[in-house]
Amino acid sequence: MKTLLKWFVPLMVLSLLLAACQPAATPTPEKVIETVTVEKEKEVVKTVEVEKPAERAVVRLSGWAASPEETALLQSILLDFTVENPDIVVKYEPITGDYWQQLKTSIASGVEPDVFYMDIFQFPAFVRDEVLLPIDDLMAKEGVKRDDFIPSLIDAFSEGGVTYGIPKDFNTLGLFYNKDLFAQAGIAEPTDDWTWDDLKAAAEALSDPANNIYGLGVPADPGRFPIFVFQNGGSIMTDDYSDTLLDSPAAIEAATFYTDFRKNQSGAIPADVGEGWQGTVFGKGQFAMVYEGGWLIPYLKQQFPNINYGVVTPPAGPKGEGNLIFTVAYVISRNSKNPEAAMRVINYLTGEKAQTKVLESGFALPTRLSLQNSEYLKTNPASSAIFRGALQGARPFVWGLVGSDVNEQMGKALERIYLENQPVDAALKQAAQVIRQKIAEVK
Amino acid sequence: MAEMVSNRPAGLFRRGSNPEKRKKRSEALTAYLFLLPYLFIFLTFTVFSIGYAFYLSFTRYNLLRPPEWWGLEGYRRVLCLEALMPRAEDAPPLTCDDLFIKKALPNTVKYTLIVVPTQTVLSLILAFAMDQKLRFRRLFRTIYYLPSVTSSVVISLIFVWLFSPLGIVNQIFNLNINWLNDPRYAFYTIMILNVFTTSGTLMLIFLAGLQDIPTAIYEAASIDGANKFQVLRYITIPMLRPVVFFVVTVGLIGCFQVFDQIYVMTSGGPLDSTTTVAYLIYKWAFRDTTVKMGQAAALSFILALIILVFTLIQRRIIEGSGSVGSA
Repeated sequence: MKTLLKWFVPLMVLSLLLAACQPAATPTPEKVIETVTVEKEKEVVKTVEVEKPAERAVVRLSGWAASPEETALLQSILLDFTVENPDIVVKYEPITGDYWQQLKTSIASGVEPDVFYMDIFQFPAFVRDEVLLPIDDLMAKEGVKRDDFIPSLIDAFSEGGVTYGIPKDFNTLGLFYNKDLFAQAGIAEPTDDWTWDDLKAAAEALSDPANNIYGLGVPADPGRFPIFVFQNGGSIMTDDYSDTLLDSPAAIEAATFYTDFRKNQSGAIPADVGEGWQGTVFGKGQFAMVYEGGWLIPYLKQQFPNINYGVVTPPAGPKGEGNLIFTVAYVISRNSKNPEAAMRVINYLTGEKAQTKVLESGFALPTRLSLQNSEYLKTNPASSAIFRGALQGARPFVWGLVGSDVNEQMGKALERIYLENQPVDAALKQAAQVIRQKIAEVK
Repeated sequence: MAEMVSNRPAGLFRRGSNPEKRKKRSEALTAYLFLLPYLFIFLTFTVFSIGYAFYLSFTRYNLLRPPEWWGLEGYRRVLCLEALMPRAEDAPPLTCDDLFIKKALPNTVKYTLIVVPTQTVLSLILAFAMDQKLRFRRLFRTIYYLPSVTSSVVISLIFVWLFSPLGIVNQIFNLNINWLNDPRYAFYTIMILNVFTTSGTLMLIFLAGLQDIPTAIYEAASIDGANKFQVLRYITIPMLRPVVFFVVTVGLIGCFQVFDQIYVMTSGGPLDSTTTVAYLIYKWAFRDTTVKMGQAAALSFILALIILVFTLIQRRIIEGSGSVGSA
């Protein structure tokens, strides 16, 4: 025994040492590539520094860090940019935590980045307070055309004929449906041509409240409900956001249709089954249909890989199609010292090459019209349905300067209907009244 | 003494004729030197910040544009008071945010009135129990104190699960209550959480107070023939009065500022049933698309004033007799 140990210990140590050495001795191919590019970058930067040091423009770029993978992808695209544009140095400064809180405080103290992400929901306040640089001239200089982008997206980031941002990606809502539950209930799967009647009939057939299974998720969510108002020919706000239309007949009718699902037990809110988000409920097979965006696709892949589902564009209402667009753009600060360099960075990041890379990674949908026939969308029907949504009566998710108040009141109105049995028209009228007061407050 | 001083070389003590004084001065200088790092932080991050917030409370400020002077308008909007704002006859109707008056203030007062007595009595009972010669006393102390050293965010998340519709609480008591999504129950759930987390710390403070009471007094009482209840009523509780004052004050301030559990668990909902003053300040300052920093700053000072008033009132009540004035 003793002799065995005598040999065993040094052997173990030796094997450990060997194991520790291994990665260094035989580097993975990935690592080799990395060192090569870094060296290349260094080399290029160095030579430029010697030749024309005065012309190196620094562009600070900030955005929220959605996931490590997404950040890594952006960094790799930025690396390509630096190699191709040695006279520009991009400093990527991702913001973790509360993005808007940090961005707004950095603007307040005058240290905001040159280029940053702008969500359409927050856009009106930034335009009103003249934080953003009008970029039409810079676009012309750089050769960026408005026509290259999906019209509803580039229009969303324009005001009074002036462009303020180049959309980087977007999402719309699609009707996600559980194929197995449809097969069990013995009804035909949804198509892009569905209407409210089809939706209602299917939800009723699919529901089985005794077993905690409901046809449709109808959360008190201001990011879902408005599409029903649009499909009913209504709107949440007037075109100039100076008033709300939440108490209009079209909106009240839509809200009645929406909340009746839960009333008739053919629909439910996530809290009814003990969840916070209907995406999880859908994954668990308790909601047969939910309206969600493209973000649900990777979530299902990771958390519920076995679910058998499909996606179609939202069923049309009495007055046609309606959808919401959630979109983010790159914008330039008015205080930027290098607006031209900033524009070149944006052009690169929203270019066909970069967007193809992003699309293929599955993180986001491209904003360029030319990419609507890309291979990826052809082979990924779920993403394709979300992409098509932008071209079918979709409106940006933006309610003007009091956006958060409108969202809050919309959510509360639905909660009052659900939790306190308030009549639909009274709930929406109360919400509209508060919204009008908030609009008066920010004037 | 006078001779000794005169014998010393002239000029040495010209400035500070008294060596005691001189020594004191240099000691003070050293003290200030040691205090300097903290003083610097205190002045920048506390005094300056409070001063600047006070200035902001009189402005309209959305972070994107420089603050503009607004006088008492911010306070008026928070309090919904017409009197605070002189205005022309033909001016448009005033708007105000009644969230503070109608929801946040009543909620916070209710929260404080329920949580402070509950956690004080509970921790006092726990302290009495832990003061006895129980088996596994140390183990119990550790267990009761454990929630206090755990991050409040973590505990909040655990409570979200415990109180979910299909969670353990509903299953044990065979209930079907949607605790955190029902306006009738959400706030009580957060109260339970707060009592659970703070009782451990307060128990520890009471325990220290109990062990501070001289045994001689108890011995005297037992010689006089006092029974256990009398000892508790006439000795233990009066002797604990400064500790009670401390515990209630700390509890009161904590309750008035309750924020993190609400941020994590309900975000002020459902239907504002858990919106407290501190959460409302955060909401106005950072959540809204059009930031209302001035209004939020105004509310911060109103909150500070409320806490001050409540502390003074309860000081009166607890120290009413004036027999124990050490706190």
